Amino acid sequence: MASRKKVLLKVIILGDSGVGKTSLMNQYVAKKFSNQYKATIGADFLTKEVMVDDRLVTMQIWDTAGQERFQSLGVAFYRGADGCVLVFDVTMPNTFRSLDSWRDEFLIQASPRDPENFPFVVIGNKIDLENRAVSARRAQGWCHSKGDIPYFETSAKEAINVEQAFQAVAKNAMAQESDVELCSDFPDPIKLKDDQAKPRENCAC
Amino acid sequence: MASQNEVLFAKDSVYIHINVQDTKDKDAHIAGRVYLMKKPEGNFIEWKAEECLSHDIQNDEWDVIGSVGFRNDRDSECVSMNAKMDARRKYNISFDVLDLKSFKRNAPNHSWAYIIFILKDGTTFPALHFHNGGSKALLKELETFIHIRRSPNDQRLFIVHDHDPEMLSKSFNELSIFSDSSSAYVQKFVSEPHKGFPKKFMKDPYTATMGGFSKVTNFLRDNFMAPENLTRPQSEMAEFLHEDIPGMEISNLDEPGFEMVTKTKLPPRPVVKRSEHLELAKWNSFFDSDGTISQVEEVKEIIFRGGVDPAIRSEVWKFLLGFYDWDSTTKKRQEQRKRKVDDYFRMKLQWKTISSEQERRFTLLKERRGLIDKDVMRTDRTHKFFSGDKNPNLQVLYDILMTYCMYNFDLGYVQGMSDILAPILVVMENEVDAFWCFAGAMERVCHNFEMDQNGMKVQLSQIHKLMQVYDPELCAYLESHDSGNFYFCFRWILIMFKREFHFHEIQRLWEVIWTDLPCQNFHLIISLAILDSEKSTLMENKFGFTEILKHINDISLSIPLDDTLCKAEGIFLQLKEFKKLPKAVKEVLGLLPVPVSQSMENSVFIGSASNTDVKSQDSASRVDTPQLMGGISSSSSISVNGSRSSHSLGGKQNSIIDEGSKILT
Repeated sequence: MASRKKVLLKVIILGDSGVGKTSLMNQYVAKKFSNQYKATIGADFLTKEVMVDDRLVTMQIWDTAGQERFQSLGVAFYRGADGCVLVFDVTMPNTFRSLDSWRDEFLIQASPRDPENFPFVVIGNKIDLENRAVSARRAQGWCHSKGDIPYFETSAKEAINVEQAFQAVAKNAMAQESDVELCSDFPDPIKLKDDQAKPRENCAC
Repeated sequence: MASQNEVLFAKDSVYIHINVQDTKDKDAHIAGRVYLMKKPEGNFIEWKAEECLSHDIQNDEWDVIGSVGFRNDRDSECVSMNAKMDARRKYNISFDVLDLKSFKRNAPNHSWAYIIFILKDGTTFPALHFHNGGSKALLKELETFIHIRRSPNDQRLFIVHDHDPEMLSKSFNELSIFSDSSSAYVQKFVSEPHKGFPKKFMKDPYTATMGGFSKVTNFLRDNFMAPENLTRPQSEMAEFLHEDIPGMEISNLDEPGFEMVTKTKLPPRPVVKRSEHLELAKWNSFFDSDGTISQVEEVKEIIFRGGVDPAIRSEVWKFLLGFYDWDSTTKKRQEQRKRKVDDYFRMKLQWKTISSEQERRFTLLKERRGLIDKDVMRTDRTHKFFSGDKNPNLQVLYDILMTYCMYNFDLGYVQGMSDILAPILVVMENEVDAFWCFAGAMERVCHNFEMDQNGMKVQLSQIHKLMQVYDPELCAYLESHDSGNFYFCFRWILIMFKREFHFHEIQRLWEVIWTDLPCQNFHLIISLAILDSEKSTLMENKFGFTEILKHINDISLSIPLDDTLCKAEGIFLQLKEFKKLPKAVKEVLGLLPVPVSQSMENSVFIGSASNTDVKSQDSASRVDTPQLMGGISSSSSISVNGSRSSHSLGGKQNSIIDEGSKILT
């Protein structure tokens, strides 16, 4: 058995109301789809254990309400996120146009260490529906302009590509994590060191 | 795969009860089998519904491995066998025993024993009822893998002690700190460049080494002091919560090292009892010759204590929700009703007659229509009143919500409103009545939905204030675990516990709350009562921010309503009798006289309708229900049912509502 020391990855799912955030989460974690999910109120999360590059990782996937006014409280959950999944509905162009503000808001509120390289994934959901209104090309264009965010087209209903999208965010988050893992565990000593180093140099004079 | 699994224990006739009240409903109890199973990846406790057993075994679907998730979505009605099986499968339980944090076992004398399992991340499964015994035997088996200790405070609660010697030694090895060579630690990381460590070590050996030691400290702390495996580092959660929720008042424990627990000496909690509901004969006896209700307070008292017989709900709710005035005569009520019918259809016409051409230039309305469209499709669809494709009641739900947008355009449609409407529509079974009763119910909670969320913030901080007095120990615990903002009560408050109770229970709860007895903030005390019942679970499991939230989310639909109401009333009486009650708390409990100056105008919301550019049109070309025509009135006055001015939250709240009226998204 692999090492029992677990790594926890916190992943936030964001996007407009009704794009399928809860459905994606449930499809990924429990392999279930229901037409009868209720609009999410407040916040909830599910956890799933996955193997990423031979490491046992616990993904804690957060689902929040999509309506704008609930964000003022929802942002409390952004901080400490290791990855973020931005979701839009390929049949609703306005949900695609919202991605910009979801991404910006997330970066402002979560203030990750390295916003440029923060592990985002974009999901265009509901490709099982026939009335698509946002082309893959357009979505990819946007993702490219934001620093090559990986783009996945999914159907939570038909379980298409869902696994891959979340696996990608887990993998990218782990890649980031291993870079910062050691300093993130104990940021204080690093700061202390900086402070101490200077006077010592001064003393040498 | 199935062949690799070894069944260590199995027991049939283990049920999940999804509908506590209606015992005639054959779907109320789901039969299943509980297992303790040895799998390659660990030892698992599983429960599967009987309907899924044979099917899933054939399909080798045993491994829903690792998904310790569970979501509340329990009531269900299904048409086909397949759908039924899907619906059953969603109850299936599977988790690694090492993820178990605690459980509650109740073995009453005259009833079945049940067990509720609670995982380390706060996930709380529905109770498993052992109709044919076996709960003790299962726990006995379980004890071979984990150490269990009974809570000293709650007889039913058992805590799992993290004790895994294998894990301990492995982790020590991993750290390499106690290996022969003192440089092993360094070497290990140098030899593993992918860890990104050596760069740091070369640049900064001091920090890296100290970091290594601090890792040991962390490790020791984690393993011997606080067995919280999956909590986020404190630094990530601690302060930001209150930064991010501006306007929340949180008293922080600045020095977590100090015990600030002071016991409030509240008077003992009096025993209170629930009574029979209000029945037709009794209800009729309150009307005098001209149809006026003689003893309003007594009627409310009966409703508070026992609710209303479902048979007369639609009538009684009209009084509770301001559709009729309590002091009205039969004649006046007939007039009131006629006017409301006219007003409703006039407002309905307003949006019904907006052409698609117009709507193209009316983004706000279009957006709201989109939101309502989506939410109507996912509101209580498991209830038979709304189930099935093309159910005509969905259209009624939609029409009422759209019309409410016209009635209160400043607020518009916000998620959660459909949750409030659904039980009312089910009771009223009439579009106009449901609309006005919904509008009345919204008067009480509209501040929850405003753009700035101030109504919510105020109430969450009021719960905090109440808790500080009622139970300083629990309050201090929550504060020191990043939960002093009581955000985990958000869903409770936003939609008045709608998602926390079964449909028939929520109707009972709401009519109790709508009496405004014993105070207008009784819903906040109900929150205290529920938290009081969960106190041992939260504290003895040492739950942190995420686990608390998860646990509170997961106890939905398993909170005993009558017990909770009794406890809440008891708590109110305790607080009321408490001599040193702070003024702020008295205010919340309505124990201070409300200043007269605050006349909460309903007109704020009425006025809005005329501010919009929407004009009532005489042409009714797009109206598809002919009977609406008779109802169109040229009158522009909207009679507002709110005889009750909602100063429910004390003085502070009023200013918020006034401010809120300015918001136009």
